[in-house]
Amino acid sequence: MNIIGRRRIWYSISLAVILPGLISLVVFHLKLGIDFKGGSLLEIQGGGNASAITAQAKTLGFQDVTVTSGSGEHLLIRYRDPGSPDQAEARHKEFKAALATTGLSEISYSTIGSSVSRDITRNALLAIAAASFAIVCYVAFAFRNAPPPVSPWSFGVTAIIALLHDAFFVLGVFSLLGHFFGIEVDALFVTAVLTVIGFSVHDTIVVFDRIRENLRRERASFETVVNDSILETFARSINTSLTVLLTLLALFLFGGESIRYFVLALLVGVASGTYSSIFNASPLLVSWHNYKLKRAKARP
Amino acid sequence: MTTKTKLILIGILTLIVAVLAYPKEDSLLHKIGFKHSHLQVREGLDLQGGAHLVYQADLTQTKASDQAAAMASLKDVITKRVNSVGTSETNVQQLGSDKIIVELPGVTDVTAAENLIGQTANLVFLEIDPKTQGASDTGISGKDVQKATADFDPQSGQPIVTLQMKSGDSTKRFGQVTTRINQTGTQLLTLLDQDPIFGPATVSSPITDGKAQLSGNFDVKTAKRIAQLINAGALPVPIHPVQQQTVGPTLGRESVRHSLVAGVIGLGVVALFMIMYYRLAGVVAVAALGIYTALTLTIYKLSAFTPYGIVLTLAGIAGFILSIGMAVDANILIFERMKEELRAGKSFVAAVEAGFDRAWPSIRDSNVSTLITCVILYSFSSSIPIIRGFAVTLGLGVVISMFTAVVVSRTFLRGIIMTKVGKNPKLYGLKLEESPK
Repeated sequence: MNIIGRRRIWYSISLAVILPGLISLVVFHLKLGIDFKGGSLLEIQGGGNASAITAQAKTLGFQDVTVTSGSGEHLLIRYRDPGSPDQAEARHKEFKAALATTGLSEISYSTIGSSVSRDITRNALLAIAAASFAIVCYVAFAFRNAPPPVSPWSFGVTAIIALLHDAFFVLGVFSLLGHFFGIEVDALFVTAVLTVIGFSVHDTIVVFDRIRENLRRERASFETVVNDSILETFARSINTSLTVLLTLLALFLFGGESIRYFVLALLVGVASGTYSSIFNASPLLVSWHNYKLKRAKARP
Repeated sequence: MTTKTKLILIGILTLIVAVLAYPKEDSLLHKIGFKHSHLQVREGLDLQGGAHLVYQADLTQTKASDQAAAMASLKDVITKRVNSVGTSETNVQQLGSDKIIVELPGVTDVTAAENLIGQTANLVFLEIDPKTQGASDTGISGKDVQKATADFDPQSGQPIVTLQMKSGDSTKRFGQVTTRINQTGTQLLTLLDQDPIFGPATVSSPITDGKAQLSGNFDVKTAKRIAQLINAGALPVPIHPVQQQTVGPTLGRESVRHSLVAGVIGLGVVALFMIMYYRLAGVVAVAALGIYTALTLTIYKLSAFTPYGIVLTLAGIAGFILSIGMAVDANILIFERMKEELRAGKSFVAAVEAGFDRAWPSIRDSNVSTLITCVILYSFSSSIPIIRGFAVTLGLGVVISMFTAVVVSRTFLRGIIMTKVGKNPKLYGLKLEESPK
């Protein structure tokens, strides 16, 4: 099978899949949860009348009130308390009591002040940037002895392109989910993105490792060596992803409600990571190599 | 070490971790003579239900050089107060330079907890009648104390706490009380947040200069802490709640049950897949995975005895389940390599060794990159405990899985190929025409 020869097709598929999400990211952004913009989230038991609850919340002075249904009989109420944080607990208690008179009981409550959510947002962005940077350096270091014609840094950079592919795919999917289904991203989502990044590189390194090994043995063209390496690691890539996807699927279907979207992000990201390690990262090595050759020839 | 010795060692390890990881391990341990052993995986608030509060300290009025000390005494004051409620396993931690986390497992009434945290340190002086043991309040409290200092008794060299009453009315009233106690032969008892820290003791002479010495049988550290708490009086700096989370106990239990079911199903499906695809090698992988799971649970349980106790949260369970997938990956890498070597016509012994040697660089590099992600997640997530839990369990899982894949799986395979059955290529998912010569 010639994977490298058809690399334009794989690049096009990636673009076609990522583009809608990217556009959505630019136009709609991500729907941020209370972890990132502050506010309160209350989960209550017993089906209630959404508009009655909203009205009740508004009389207490809460802003941006939304009521959505969670799993089963649970309702999720989100609001922002514009007052001082010192009195927020008293107002929350008042709200809880008001809900109790209509037979609704609170099962979980969380509230985050805007200064804390700013911290979380900053740390989340820093973490993603730091992780990406550390990984490029590690890959370049791990492949420092890679035989010619490719430099260690090109392994690092193509691994990062594959990683960005996966990260943006997950971000795009959640931007669309946020816009059309109101699904919010929380601190756990950052964890999911970081895990996807880690997994993506994990997967890519295995293929790169084989390319490095084959470059030492085979005397064939670079394209052939890369193609052979992908084919030789194909079964492993698919089987590994399959086992991870199976465990994630079990978590998605039977795991706790509060981690459902976290698991969904991982599912989407791991699938994308498998695709990118086979169809993006290694083909990009070849594209890069060919581009450098062409430039070298063009020089007088 | 011969393969046989290694197999025996792995067998012993398996037996130990299987007993320790077993959910009712105390009854098993009891049978072999260990009494009072109770191991438990510590559960986070999202699993057992409870309140998680974060306070922001207002340090704007505190000098930069005093801020660290102010935070330390703030933490002390709050710890003392939440512990006085009597709920077990409360946890008070400083977060960053100016925040305090308070975790109260099992507490769902946050208002009660908040009132308690907001109180001032309660220093009380009681007058005790030694005959009737009756206690009466002297009307003097922590509010009358100007300053408390940890010191040493010049005569005995014992650590003591000296108090300086506020000048004027407070000193005068303290003088009256001590005079009375001295004359009537009653005793003075000093309580801090309901704990006796001095006395009951007779007063040898009236104290009119407002200087009192408290000499309980305390060490230097305790003396310092008491002085700090009294000085704190009111909280050393104003605090405001900035983050709060309460989880009902039923929701937490439900999550545990769901996640356990998911974990068992996930493990089962993966085991089935591995055995169907890699046959005998798959069985080896599943055995290694079993040991991996038991070993991980054992480490969770034993970590509770160290300062680095692992607290399992819902995100942590997800990290653990994900690490199962990665543990299997190492086995897949090795088996695929082994099959290649067998196809190339190598003997079983050579194929097993080559399979491990060739797979090792990939296993090492890919796992190190995951570990890097975990370390970064951990260090950037001090304000986001949910992420911290995930990073810890995933990172630990990666490390343990490298051990089980490289040591346990390898030894098992070496053992199996020594037997006659173990040399049947069909048992490794190879087609007959691919069999080694």
